[in-house]
Formats: sequence, structure tokens, C-alpha cells
Amino acid sequence: MSTAFTTSPAQSHHRRRSSTSGAAPPAVGYRVNRPNNLAQGSSRLLNPSNLSPIPGTPNTGNMPLSRSPSPIPGGGWSSPGLNINSSGQSSPATASFSGPNGSNVTWESARLKSQGVSGYPSFSTQNQGFFTRHMRRISRQLPTFQVSPDQYAEKDKPGRNKWNAPMLDRVRGVVARIGRKWKIRMLIAAIILFCYLLFWLTPLGYHYRRATWLGGGQKFVIILAANVGGGVMEWKGAREWAIERDSVRNKRKYVSRWGYDLEIIDMSTKKRYAHEWRESWEKVDSIRNSFRKYPKAEWVWWLDLNTFVMEPSYSLQDHIFNNLEKHIYRDINEYNPLNISHPLKGNYLDEASQNVQGDGNPGSVNLILPQDCSGFNLGSFFVRRSDWTDRLLDIWWDPVAYEQKHMEWEHKEQDALEQLYTTQPWIRKHTAFLPQRKINSFPNGACSDNGMDPRIHYNQNDRDFLVNMAGCEWGRDCWGEMYNFRELSYYLNRNPWERFKEDLIAVIWFKLTGQKVKL
Amino acid sequence: MHFAYPPRKSSNPPPFLPRSSRISTLRRNRLKLVAIAGLSIIFLLWLFSGSKTKASPQRIITGTPPVVIVTAFEEKAVGAEFIRNAKSNRREYAKMHGYKTHLVSSGDYDLNGSPLSWAKVPAMRHAMAKYPNARFFWYLDQNSLIMNPDLKVEDYVMSARKLEASMIKDLPVVPPDSIIKTFSHLKGDDVSFVLTQDKEGLSAGSFIIRNGDWAEFFLDTWFDPLYRSYNFQKAETHALEHIVQWHPTILSKLAIVPQRLINAYSKSSQGEQYKEEDIVVRFPGCITGSQSECEEEAKRFLPQWQKAFGLS
Repeated sequence: MSTAFTTSPAQSHHRRRSSTSGAAPPAVGYRVNRPNNLAQGSSRLLNPSNLSPIPGTPNTGNMPLSRSPSPIPGGGWSSPGLNINSSGQSSPATASFSGPNGSNVTWESARLKSQGVSGYPSFSTQNQGFFTRHMRRISRQLPTFQVSPDQYAEKDKPGRNKWNAPMLDRVRGVVARIGRKWKIRMLIAAIILFCYLLFWLTPLGYHYRRATWLGGGQKFVIILAANVGGGVMEWKGAREWAIERDSVRNKRKYVSRWGYDLEIIDMSTKKRYAHEWRESWEKVDSIRNSFRKYPKAEWVWWLDLNTFVMEPSYSLQDHIFNNLEKHIYRDINEYNPLNISHPLKGNYLDEASQNVQGDGNPGSVNLILPQDCSGFNLGSFFVRRSDWTDRLLDIWWDPVAYEQKHMEWEHKEQDALEQLYTTQPWIRKHTAFLPQRKINSFPNGACSDNGMDPRIHYNQNDRDFLVNMAGCEWGRDCWGEMYNFRELSYYLNRNPWERFKEDLIAVIWFKLTGQKVKL
Repeated sequence: MHFAYPPRKSSNPPPFLPRSSRISTLRRNRLKLVAIAGLSIIFLLWLFSGSKTKASPQRIITGTPPVVIVTAFEEKAVGAEFIRNAKSNRREYAKMHGYKTHLVSSGDYDLNGSPLSWAKVPAMRHAMAKYPNARFFWYLDQNSLIMNPDLKVEDYVMSARKLEASMIKDLPVVPPDSIIKTFSHLKGDDVSFVLTQDKEGLSAGSFIIRNGDWAEFFLDTWFDPLYRSYNFQKAETHALEHIVQWHPTILSKLAIVPQRLINAYSKSSQGEQYKEEDIVVRFPGCITGSQSECEEEAKRFLPQWQKAFGLS
């Protein structure tokens, strides 16, 4: 017996509104009940004539009232037929019964309604069903609707912000009803959320990781040897550009994630060495300049261009430096492709120089490098800021040594370092080695004369940290390797959602339909 | 509905037991509070622990003995008699001031076929291994005698004030016209290597090294097999001139002092001549092949130093 709102405003009904009242008229204002608004708590009707009838509830317009009419806040009684406040809508076209204030009820609609009502001559008691029983509690929490706010404009003035202030009260009420235990839980959750926002979505996290006394990111500088400006001597093709772009982007991402510094060395500008002996000793100058440029840097990590950080989630601190003594080995006999006799023998040497472990203190390590199948590898190594390092960088290139050895030294500075390590006790004491795959895994193409070696070659199951495509420019496909490793790195480091999509949904879909999908 | 009656309580209640643990004295929620506080403290510690990179250990040198005198002797070159005198000369001097001596034979070290004069470098390194707490090592070549036992090396040469006053600044390292010059602003405490020039250039016959990491680096570098195999005309002396000129980390620790301070010569033909009260006299060019030459020269000074030491 759904009664249209407009058709029966005159019959104000005194049933409690239910939450099911759906259609509010456009001009309806609403208000939230406050208990002290009302003279009588039992009746929440502010202005009964404003109420829309409730679909699905029996219309009581022509029926004996089951309850006495409620007082209205402005005083007086609201009763059927005596409608002080109405929507003012009139429909003159139809013969209408107009109330004293111009409220109108069409005869037709009234008739229909009474018919409808007579179809359900129900005697409705209270407390029938869930809604009737809980109506009050439910309705208390809902805004009340007010059809014509202008009528009560003056009265409402003090509470102009009808919504906001009561909203606060409501929130307060809600909070008051929450138990203490839950309050504490929610507080903790809120704090965690706040910390998450603070550290991961703002630069604060970045600065935390950078600060030397917190995350310590500023202690590390990555030097990437790139030919940024484009080749001067050699023509640089699209593939070379792509390699460089990927490599640099990879390092940039890594560095910005952990708060390190990245120094990209433009090797083409170092061509002033080209006609000197010192060509390929630019490393020395670059490292020195970086220590000068980043005064807080403690460790410099040299990286060749053909490297790719496969696991950007590893921080250098976690991966190596927090537990330096566990990762490094100082006794070269553990892996000694060059067959350097260690320790040095000499009746004039001090104890530490003749000890395989040096002085055994990880704090005295100033140079950390990996060894590949043919000896030292300077594609990825660490140097610490120290007087020792100054001396090494100073002594690394020497004209007398170079003059005697340059024909043998195919890898120039690398061979020179091997020479220094072999002959000079002071170098040995402060040099340590890392297992190659810790910072410098090789792809299958490099060092492959003796087949695969678990000490040398990349293994994705172990999630190796970094891949160095060493020697790929000599007959291998640098860009192909770089591309493959890049994609592999993305694949290995997919987030849970991507894993869910690709490992579960796509696989199920493939099993069901036989079609591969890209999600 | 009928429920079973609850079981009867024992009519002999167990006696009160003492509290099993102390924790139960704390109320439960207080325990929780303590746990939360502890966890948050641990979290904060972790947050502010920073990254721990171990500092490089600094060896502390106590300075006992203050000075070690090092000499490598070639018996074939100077003769046993001379060596005996020179050794007792150094030992007496060391005894007077609480120094130690490290007097060895050049043949003790494996030089891999290079000239025996190279032995001074491993001899110094050996002394450093033997006396790790000595403050200074003074290499005094075999063809020399200490003449003035009253002077203490660590005060008279190596004290910062004396050194700053006596070091020759802005001096071409290799005379007459090397473009590499000694530093003009160098603190006495930063000097780790004191030597002199004679008329031919740097003199490696008498030099003082301050103990420390730098000394190891310097001696090892000097002793590099590639320098030894290079056939420098004057072996270790020219190798020294080479590394001093090419490697600023060495030059920045070096001070050249007036020759007579630690390296006076008996003849003026090769350098500044010895005068009374000088600490040392050296006989350059006495090692020529015949053993007698150094002995001849030393004879002139024998009574003098023995008198000064109060031996005769």
C-alpha cells in the first residue's frame, strides 16, 4: 500500500518512522535528533506532518490511532486533519480537500488509500519483528528529515551546523561505546598506519635511511663507471645506449631505495689518459674524487657498467657490512686461482703480516674484493676511506713498475693490484675477499671454460645480489644478457599481487581454457 | 532439564601453597604493560642503532724503548774489527739512554740477488717487528760512529718543536732542480720520516722513522721487488728518490733536515763535514772493496768517541 509522499501529507501519521523510509522529497531537510530536543523522549517526532509515510507499514490515516498523538516541539498537538505545517503543495486541477494551511489531499488518493488500508485491516501491535522492536535504537542514529526547513528557520538558527556538531557528538558516542581494549587496539593500529605513512610515503624514510647515525646510507657511495656523454673514440650504437640506460636506472633505483649516493663516472672525459701510461687507472682518480665529494662516505663501491643489481631489496649493511667478519675471508688459500703463496714468508716481517688472517680484526679491512676464475676482479669491489686507502691509491700506479710490467699486465690496474698484493705485506694485512657470488656473480658465458662453477656463476634460486656480465663485449651479447637479467630481476621481485595474478589466476586460466593470458 | 549436580568439594582442602614464582605477584595487566614497554624500548634501540661499521683499530705505541738503532753490517766490506767497534759504539750509546739496538748482518735477509745495501730496508722492518712499541727507529749505516752520546735522538731531532725549526722547507727533493719540493707547511708531529741530503741527493745512510702504519707502508713500498729488479744505479738510494718524487703520501710525511744533524761526513767532498759536538760521523765512500779503508778512517775517531763515552 505504498503511499506516495505527495498524496497524503495531510494525514500525518504517528507511527514511528522506520529506517525503511526510503524516498525523501527534494525539499526535505533533515535533522539529527538530540534527546534534549524533545519534550517527550518516547516520541521523536519533531514535526509529524513532515513525515513521509513508510512504505510497507500500514497507513493509519483513517484508522483509529493506536497511540495518542504526540506533542510537537513547537507546542500543540499534531493530529490527523490538523496539519499546521505542510509542504504547501497544491494541486488545483483535482478536486482537493485543502486543510487550513493549504495542505492538500486529493480526494482520489485519500480514497485509494482508505481502500488500501481496508485491504489490510490489521491490528498492529508494537514489538512485532526485529525492526519494530529495534526501531527506536536504529532510528536514533539516523538523521531526521525535515520537509520545509524555512518554517523553523528562526528556531533552528542556534544550531545552524546541524550536521557537524551532532556528528561530533555521534562520534563521541560511538567512541564512548567502544570498549577500552578495542580502543587500545585501534590506537595501536592507527599508530602503525601513521608510521607506515610517515616512513614509506614521505621522504622521512629516505632521510632516515641516509642519516649516518640512523640508517647509515650516507656511508656508502656507489661509483658506476659509465660512458654517459657518449663515446668519443668509439661509435655508440642503440644497444650500448640501452645497456647504459638500464644499468644506470638500476643503480639509481637501488641507491634511492637505500639512501646511498651514486656517482656516475664519465669515462669518456678521462680520455686525457689515452696517450699516457695511466690509461685505465682512472679508477684511482674517481675513487679519490668521490671520497672528496662525499665527505660522509665510508665505503665506496666500484661497479662496472655491465652490472645489474638483481635484488634491490638487499641493503649493503644487511648483506655485508653489519656482519663483515662472517662474510669476508682474509686467507686467500680458501680460493686461490692465482696460487699466491699466503702468508708471506720473511724473517723480517711482523706477526700480523705472517698470519693468514692478518690481525683478524674486521675493522682493519680496507679493501674488499671478489675473485673470479682468473684472479682478482675489479668489476665490483669496496674500498674504505682510510689512510691506508690513500696510500694504496697513491702507490697503485707507479712508473717503474709499469715500465717493467706493462707488457704482461693485460688487465692493467687489476694486475697491478695483484702484484702489490703478492709482494707487499702492508697491502695483504688490510685486504679481504668476498665470495664472488656475494657481490659479483657471473653469467654462464663468463669464466665458463671449466663449465659451471657454483662459486662463480649466478643462480637464481639463491637470489644472488648482483650480476656482472664481465667480458660480454668480447664476443657475447651484452644487451641480450642485460635484458634477460633485468627481466629476471623483475620476475623474481614481483609483489604479492603480481604473483597472485601470474602464478595462480593465469595458471588456472591456462589449465581451464588452454590459453595464456597476460594479466 | 536437569543438570547433574556439581561434584562435591573435597572436605579436606589442600593447604595453601607458597607462590610458585615471583611473576605472579605482578598483576597481569601490569605484566603486559612491562612487556609492551620493553618491546618498544627494543624497537627504539633498533631504530636508532644506526649502521654499525667498525672503526679501524688504532695501535697504541707506548714508546718503550723510545729509540731503536738499526744497522746492517757487511763483514766483507768493512772488516770484523771495524764492525766490533761500531757495534760497541751503538750499544754503549743505547745503554746510556735506554734505547735498543738491532745490529744485524746484511746476509740475514733474502734480497733475491739485489745489492746488499738493500738490506737496510728489511732490517728496519725486522726491528719494527721486534720492537713494536718503540717510538722511533734510527737507521745508521755501518760506516758511521756516534760521536756525541749526550744528544738524545727523540729530543734533539724528533721533538716536534725542534723538527719544525730544523726542517728545510720547499727544498727540491733531488738537487739541484727537481720540481718536487719538500712541503712548506708541515707539523712536526706529522713527520714520520727524517733524512738528509748530501751533495749527490738524498742520503739513505742515516734516517729516522716514526713507528706506525705509515712506516710499514713506506718500508714495504721501498722494498718492492720491482724496484730492486730495476737496476737503479745507486740501488736503494735511487729507489728512495723515485718513490719520494712519485708518491705524495710519502713526500707528505718526509722532512729533510740539515745534514750535520744526523749525518755529518768525515770528508767535505761529498757533503757537510763533521764538526765537534755533532752526533754522528759517517765515512762515505769507504766501502770500495778493500776492507781497510773504513777501518783507517774510523781509527781517527776511535779515541774521540771512546773518550766521549767515558770508555778509555
